[in-house]
Amino acid sequence: MSQAPQTATPSKPMTVNGVTIDDTFAEAFGMSGTGIIITADTLKWARIAADVATGFGTSVIGCGAECGIDRELTPDETPDGRPGVRVLMFGFSPDALIPQVKNRVGQCVLTSPGSACYAGLDAATKIGLGQGPRFFGDGNQTAKKLGDKRYWRVPVMDGEFVIEETTGITTDAVGGGNLLIIGRDRAGLLETTEAAVAAIAKVNDVITPFPGGIVRSGSKVGSKYKGMFASTNDAFCPTLRGVTQSELQAGTIAVLEIVIDGLTSKAVAVAMRAGLKAVTTIGTVKGVTRVSAGNYGGKLGPHHYHLKDLI
Amino acid sequence: MSGLTLRLKAPAHQRLNIAALTPANLAKLSSHDIAHLKVGMDKEALAVGDAFDISGTPGDTLTIEGQGAALDFAGAGLCSGTLIVNGNVGGYAARRMTGGRLEIHGHAGNYLGSGATGGMIHVSGNAGDNLGGIISGDRFGMSGGTVVVGGNIGARAGDKMRRGTVIVKGNTGVGTGTRMLGGTIWAEGHLGPDPGFMMRRGTLIAQRVERLLPTFADCGEHDLVILQILSKYLRDTLGGLAPKPLGKFAHKIGGDLATLGKGEILLPV
Repeated sequence: MSQAPQTATPSKPMTVNGVTIDDTFAEAFGMSGTGIIITADTLKWARIAADVATGFGTSVIGCGAECGIDRELTPDETPDGRPGVRVLMFGFSPDALIPQVKNRVGQCVLTSPGSACYAGLDAATKIGLGQGPRFFGDGNQTAKKLGDKRYWRVPVMDGEFVIEETTGITTDAVGGGNLLIIGRDRAGLLETTEAAVAAIAKVNDVITPFPGGIVRSGSKVGSKYKGMFASTNDAFCPTLRGVTQSELQAGTIAVLEIVIDGLTSKAVAVAMRAGLKAVTTIGTVKGVTRVSAGNYGGKLGPHHYHLKDLI
Repeated sequence: MSGLTLRLKAPAHQRLNIAALTPANLAKLSSHDIAHLKVGMDKEALAVGDAFDISGTPGDTLTIEGQGAALDFAGAGLCSGTLIVNGNVGGYAARRMTGGRLEIHGHAGNYLGSGATGGMIHVSGNAGDNLGGIISGDRFGMSGGTVVVGGNIGARAGDKMRRGTVIVKGNTGVGTGTRMLGGTIWAEGHLGPDPGFMMRRGTLIAQRVERLLPTFADCGEHDLVILQILSKYLRDTLGGLAPKPLGKFAHKIGGDLATLGKGEILLPV
């Protein structure tokens, strides 16, 4: 879940390569997660389909699911021997995720030239993948069962759209792993955070669902306005430093957050470690001063990732 | 590899029904009980001990050295383990097989894999008529599993076949895929005359067809992703027994339009 930090109180900070690491932790939540593989004639078109299918998938709060590309796949790794990408989707529950998968695949993958779609997670529990989109065939669709997998062949205008009947789903996924990267130079901070996202992208089974993997509008729970579930995290807004109960020290110009969702808690921890290492390797040369993490005092989320354990 | 070996003592004077001779069945029996299992089909039926020399201990693998015998129902009901038959087998081999592996180093008779729902069947030689076909009293023919035949097969293979994959290294006889409901029959040689008679669904693949029924229609040459999936699946599961992967394009002939018409004959181009 991408609900960003409410509090992140540093107590005994340490310093790595000039960057202060708060003695705090990221608090994350249990989620349901699934994976799909999208292939196409070229990697370019597989990525186009995946980019569209994962669009508007930043936060379950407003998007219904948190989605992203886990990694690119070589032809040897895909069922049809074509290049592909693995997409991960996360939601509050399997019931919440099922319509998201159906709609995103139906509207964004089925429609993409040359695409095919397969299970991207091997798990005991399955959800429908091609069970909805196959009906687009209007009775002309056919199935081919090979081993324990059933593939639907849906006639479309550029040939056939092939889609596997089901994919796996896990309820052991974790959403909301996070790093708050704080600095005194906005451009340099963005550059450093981009490097952290790139490092996290090399970790399997995780995504960073926000634009370019980065959130500039971390939120707190609730709002003074009725009907708003979340609102700006004023404690981390630099422009409010003097007028609110700020968590930011003097000189801070900007804070960027990386939110991480993973199929397992271990994957989230590995991803946070990779991101943290990327930040501390660059150090302060680009204006980063401090790394913190968002939590709710440890009372809401069962998964706690202490920054000091990740260095 | 632990296992039992049954070696034919002399050419049998009666047909033998060896359905009971599977690794899982024999593992439950004492050597005395194995020797007294009836396998003959005559009024005074032969027992295993009469027909075979028995050696080894029951385990995952059962080997039958059966040259010269008429062995019917080899691997019938096989659910696990490996049954190896060195020599030809008669009819109904792998009948209602659900799992495991049946290796026939020789030829197989009619109705190989009839009613099978799983497992792997490999025949190094030829197979007879109605491979994977339906028999009276059944609702469907073969409904799962994989058959690989090293040589040719006879008529009406896959009659009312519902699922599963049949690979034929040679040619098929007349009426391959008759009344087929699903699954795949892939001949690396050619299909005999009139394949897919009253076929509703399913896939027949071959280099060429001897003669097409008039109720099949040309659908053109296409790049079919499912063929790449099939080739890769067979390579992964069959290894060296897999057919040569198909090229990018195949000529699709759809039918049988005398019935549902969702079947297909695919000819690689």
